[in-house]
Amino acid sequence: MDEEQLKKLVNEVFEESFETNTEHLKADAMIFEDIGLDSLDIVDLVVALQKKFKVQIRDDERIRNIRTLGDIYQFVINLKDEGHIPEA
Amino acid sequence: MKRVVITGRGVVSALGSDLSSLMEGLSGGKSAVKAMPDWEGYKGLRSLLGAPAELQNEKEIPRKARRSMGRISLFGVEAAEQAIRDGKVDETLLTSNRFGCVMGSTMGGAGDFLEAFSAILRNYDISELSSMSFFKCLSHTVTMNVAQYLGIKGYVMAASAACASSLQALGLGYELIRSGRQDALLCGGAEELHPIVTGTFDILYATSTHFNDTPSLSPRPFDKKRDGLVCGEGAGVLLLEEYDHAIHRDAPIYGEVIGYSTCGSGAHVSQSSREGMRSCMKDALKDAQLNPENVDYVSAHATATLQGDQAEAAAIADVFGDQVPVSSLKGYIGHTLGASGAIELAASLEMIAQSIIYPTLNLDNIDPQCNQIAHVREPLKRDITVVVKNCFAFGGINAVLIIRKLNN
Repeated sequence: MDEEQLKKLVNEVFEESFETNTEHLKADAMIFEDIGLDSLDIVDLVVALQKKFKVQIRDDERIRNIRTLGDIYQFVINLKDEGHIPEA
Repeated sequence: MKRVVITGRGVVSALGSDLSSLMEGLSGGKSAVKAMPDWEGYKGLRSLLGAPAELQNEKEIPRKARRSMGRISLFGVEAAEQAIRDGKVDETLLTSNRFGCVMGSTMGGAGDFLEAFSAILRNYDISELSSMSFFKCLSHTVTMNVAQYLGIKGYVMAASAACASSLQALGLGYELIRSGRQDALLCGGAEELHPIVTGTFDILYATSTHFNDTPSLSPRPFDKKRDGLVCGEGAGVLLLEEYDHAIHRDAPIYGEVIGYSTCGSGAHVSQSSREGMRSCMKDALKDAQLNPENVDYVSAHATATLQGDQAEAAAIADVFGDQVPVSSLKGYIGHTLGASGAIELAASLEMIAQSIIYPTLNLDNIDPQCNQIAHVREPLKRDITVVVKNCFAFGGINAVLIIRKLNN
C-alpha cells in the first residue's frame, strides 16, 4: 500500500464516520476548527482508524500531537513504515 | 391545584409518521403488522412478527446531535418536534427553566445494546466501542437526546417501567404542572422494534407465534384465538401545559388531564393482577373526582396475551361493569411498549375530537373469559367526554391516566 492509498483510506474514515465533505479533506485542514470534530469524535476517530488499518493505536502517545489531517496522514504512514499496518 | 391541558401532539407509529396517518389507519381498519423473515436467524425466537415504523428525514438532524441517537431516540425526537410544532411552542418557552421533558422507554436502545455488547464480547475487548455506544444504549437515551437536541432546561427525567413508561411520564408531567413546579413539559415515550425485545417476551411464551404466515391477523386482543403480543415501534409525545399558561399564549387545547394513578401490584413480576389493575383504575377515578358512569371510553392496555387480557377485562368489569365501551389499539400497530400509553392517548384525543371510538382489530370471537365488558367491535359514533387510558407493565406496575374534552 503506497502513501496515496493510505491517505485515501484516511479520507474514507472521515467521510464514513463524520460525514465530512470531500472538499474539506485537505492536508492542512485543522481537525477541530476546519473539519468540525470534537473531543468525543476523537475517540471514534481512533476506533475507526483501528478498524480501517487493523492496528491498535489507542495508547499511542503520538495521537495527542495530531492537529491537522496531514498529521493523521503522516501518523498512518509512520505506522506503515514501522510495520504495524498489515499488507492488504 | 392547577389545571393541566394537552396543547401539542406528536406520533410516529407503524401506521405512519404522524397522528393523522395513525387515525387514517385506525379508521380504515388497517393492520401494520408484518412478517419479519430476517429474524429467523435468532435461534429459539418463535414469533416472527412486528409492526415496524419508518424514520423520516433523520439526516436533517445535524451530525453532532444525531450521533448520540439510536433508532429509538430518533423516533422520540421526531414525535417531540411534531408536538412542539403542533403546540406552537416558541424558542423562549422551549428553553425556559419552566419547560421540562419526561420520556420513557422499556430498556433504551435495544439494537445499540446488542451492537455494543457484541463489540465487547468478540474478544472481551472494549477498544472497539464508539464514544456514542453508551449514549445510544442508556435507559434514558430518549429523554437525554430529546432534551439535549431541543435545548430543554427545565425538569428532565426518564421514566422506565416497561409498558407503563410513557403513561408514567405523562402522569409525572401532570403532577409537576398541577403542583406548580413547571409550566409545560413534553411527555411520552419511544420504542424500537428489535428481535431481542420480542425475544424477551417470546421466552416467556407471551408472543404471538401462530400467525407468522398471516401477520395482519395478530395480535388479537380479547379474542378467543389470541396467542400473544406483537411488538411495534415508534413514539408518542404530548405537550402538557398549565391551563392559564396555555390560554395566555393562545395555544391549541386538545383535552385536559384530570386524573392519574400509578401503583404496584405487589404480586408477581409477569402475571397480571386483576386486583392491582382495579385498584389503579379506582384511584385514578378518585383523583379525577369521577364515578365510573362518568367515563365514556376505556382505552385498554390489552396486548393479546392470554392471561393479561383476561385479568384486564375482569378488572374493567369490576370497575365499569358492562356499559362503558372498551377497545385496544394493539391489533393495528402492535404493542409499542414504553411508547404505547402516549401513542394510544394521542389517538384517544382524536377520537374525542371526531366523536368516534375505533374498535379492537382482530376481535372476531370474544373469549368468553373476556366477555364481561362492552367491547367495541365496529366504529362507534358517539360524543366522548372522558377517556380512561390503561397501561399495565411487567414488574407489576400499573398506570392509569384520565383525560376529558376541555370543559371551560
